[in-house]
Amino acid sequence: MFEFLFKGLIRDKSRSLLPVIVVSLGVSLSVFFVGYIEGMMGDMVDQNARFGTGHMKVMTREYVKNIAQKPLDLSILDAGDVIDDLKQKYPEVDWVKRFNFGGILDVPDENGQTKTQGIAGGMAFDMTSNNSDLKRLNIADNIVEGRMPKGPFEMLLGQGLAKRMNVKIGDQITYFGSTMDGSMSFQNFTYVGAVQFGLSVMDDKTFLIDIKDAEQILDMEDAVQEIYGYLPNDIYDDQEIEEIKNSYNQSFANDEDEYAPQMLALRDQNGLSTMLDMVNTMSSAFTFFFIIAMSIVLWNTGLLGGLRRYTEFGIRIAIGESKRDIYKSLLLESVIVGAVGSVFGTILGLILTFYLQEVGIDMSDTLGNSNVLFSNVIRAKVVPTQFWIGFFPGVMATFLGALLSGRGIFKRQTSELFNELGV
Amino acid sequence: MSTQKNETNENHIDMNTNNIIEIQNVTKRFPVGETEFTALSNINLKIEKGEFTGLIGPSGSGKTTLLNLIGALDIPSEGEILISGKNVAVKSDAKSALLRNEHIGFIFQSYNLLPVYSIFENVEFPLLLQKKSKAERKEAVMQALEWVGLSDIANKKPSQISGGQAQRVAIARSIVKKPDIVLADEPTANLDSTNAYKIMDILKKLNEELGITFMFSSHDSKVIEYLRRVITLEDGKVKNDETK
Ligand SMILES: Nc1ncnc2c1ncn2[C@@H]1O[C@H](COP(=O)(O)OP(=O)(O)O)[C@@H](O)[C@H]1O
Ligand SMILES: [Mg+2]
Repeated sequence: MFEFLFKGLIRDKSRSLLPVIVVSLGVSLSVFFVGYIEGMMGDMVDQNARFGTGHMKVMTREYVKNIAQKPLDLSILDAGDVIDDLKQKYPEVDWVKRFNFGGILDVPDENGQTKTQGIAGGMAFDMTSNNSDLKRLNIADNIVEGRMPKGPFEMLLGQGLAKRMNVKIGDQITYFGSTMDGSMSFQNFTYVGAVQFGLSVMDDKTFLIDIKDAEQILDMEDAVQEIYGYLPNDIYDDQEIEEIKNSYNQSFANDEDEYAPQMLALRDQNGLSTMLDMVNTMSSAFTFFFIIAMSIVLWNTGLLGGLRRYTEFGIRIAIGESKRDIYKSLLLESVIVGAVGSVFGTILGLILTFYLQEVGIDMSDTLGNSNVLFSNVIRAKVVPTQFWIGFFPGVMATFLGALLSGRGIFKRQTSELFNELGV
Repeated sequence: MSTQKNETNENHIDMNTNNIIEIQNVTKRFPVGETEFTALSNINLKIEKGEFTGLIGPSGSGKTTLLNLIGALDIPSEGEILISGKNVAVKSDAKSALLRNEHIGFIFQSYNLLPVYSIFENVEFPLLLQKKSKAERKEAVMQALEWVGLSDIANKKPSQISGGQAQRVAIARSIVKKPDIVLADEPTANLDSTNAYKIMDILKKLNEELGITFMFSSHDSKVIEYLRRVITLEDGKVKNDETK
C-alpha cells in the first residue's frame, strides 16, 4: 500500500515536485537567514571584541561605575599582579593590556609654532613585539601611507585625522594631555603612517601608539586602564565567557576594596546584551512567522491539489478505503514531501551560507572604499543550528497544510465527493 | 479481542439469506438551502442473490441516490438498507469502507481510473486494500483482465486506451476481488453501441459464471435489453417493478 501511494506521489508531479520546490525554497531561505544573522552577529561581536570590549574585560570596580568616561585615575594599579592572577586562573585566555585616552595633538612648523592642532582619542596596545594583539587588530594590513611603528614614540593617525592635521611621514607631532594622577603631560612623537579604519568616527579622531609609550606619557608604568581577554583563536562563546566572568568576580566577592578588579563580559558593554537578545528573538520570531506563512502557502496548494484529488478520493472510498485511511495517507505524503523538501532546502541554504562565509559580498565598491578594518563585506556563518532548523518550517508547514486541506474529506458528504465525479 | 471477532462476523455476509439486498421504507432527503428535497420516498425492494437488475427512469429520478445508499456511500434519512440481513446505515466510516472493500464493486459512467497508475495497478488497488500477497494479486489481476479481454494492455496508462477499454478496466477493477454485488451506475452512457453491447456481454457472463449480483442504473435501451428485472423509478418512487 505504501509502495502504491509512493508511486502515485512520484508520478504526479503536481503532488511531489511542486510542493518539494516550494518547501525547498522556503526552507533554504530560513536556513540561510539563520546563517546570515549568525554572520552579521558574528561580525558585530567580532568588531566590538577587537576594539572596544574584548570577549571580557577587567577593570576596577570604581572604573566600571564610570565606564563611559574611561577614567584613567580609576585604573588598576598593580597591573602585573592582576594579569598574573588572570593568566594563572584562566591560562587558555589571551589577556592583553589596552589604553584609551584623550589629548591634544599639535603639529609645529619649522619655527616651532603651531601649524595645526586637534583633539584626538588615543588607543594603545602592544605593537612592537610580534604578539597576538598585533595580529588581532590587524592594523598593518590597513596602513594606507607609511609603516607600522618600530621604535619608541612613533605614532599612527587615522586617515581622516592625518589629512586634517596636514602631516607628512616623518613630521613631529606633540601630544598634550594629563597623566593618571592629573598632572600635565607632553611628549613628541614621529608620524610614521596613516590607518584606514573604514569607520569615519575612528578615521577622523584616532591615533595609535605602542603600549610602552602610553605607559610612559600617562605615568602608568605598572598600571593598566583595561585588561582585555580573548578566548582561544578569538572564537566567541557566550556561555564560556559568562562562566569565566562569574567565577572571577566570585573570587573577589568578599573583597571590600572599591578598586578590586571586576570583570565584564562583552554582552555587558555598549548595550550589546539587548542587541544580541533582540537578534535572537528576531531570529525565532522570523522562523515562527515563516512556519505560519509557509503553511498558508502549502495549505493553499494542498487545497487546490485536494480539490483536484477529490475524484481520486471518491474512487478510493468506493473501492473500500476509509476516509480516515485516506486522510492518514495524505498526511504521510505531506511528511515525505516536507522531509524531502527540507533536505534539499537545507542543502541549498547551507551552500548559500557557505558561499557568503567564504566569499562574501563585497559592499566596499558601493560604499566607495576598499581595504578597511571594519568589514564592508557581507558575510554569513555556517552554524550547526542550520542543519536541523529548516525541518521545522519544512515538515511542520507541509503537515499543517495537509492537516487543514485534508479536513475537506471529512466535511463533505461521501455522496458529494461522488457527485463531483460526475457519476 | 472479542470486538475484533464481532467486526469480522458483522462484515461476513450470510449466503444462506436469499435476499442479498433489502430496502425497507427508505426515504432520502437532501438539504437544499433552507428546505429539503426528497430524492427518494418510501422505497421498498428486495433483490435476490444472482439477480441482474436495473433501476431505470429519467434523469433526476433518484437512481444514483439509491445506488449510493446500497453501497453505503450515504445513509438514508428514513428506513433501512440490509445487505444480507445487516443494516448498513448504522455502520461507521471504517466499517462501511470494509463492507465495500469486501463485498461491493462499483462501476461508474465516467470510468474513473486513477490516471497516474497503470491498468494493472488500477485493477490491483482493491486487492492492496485487502492486503493480499503479491503473487495472489498478480494472479487475480491477470485473471480479471482476461475476463474483460485486456490482458495485453496491463502496462498501459489510462490515457493511452480508448473509452470502451477504460470501462472494461473499470469492470475488471470492480470484480477483481470477486464481490457479491456490483453496482453499475449508467455504465454505457459514455459508450457507442458496439462498446455498450460488448460491456453488457461481459457483465452478463460475469453474472452467470461468477454468480455476482448486478444492480444497474440506466436509461439506455441497450442495457434494458439485457436486464432480467427492471425497476422503474419516477420522482423518487418505484413506479413499476417487472421481472422478465
Ligand atoms: N447531494 C445532493 N444534494 C442535493 N440534491 C441532490 C444531491 N444528490 C442528488 N440530489 C438530487 O436528487 C435527485 C436525484 O438525483 P440522482 O439520484 O442523481 O438522479 P439520477 O441518478 O436518477 O439522475 C436530483 O434531483 C438531484 O438533484
Ligand atoms: Mg445518476
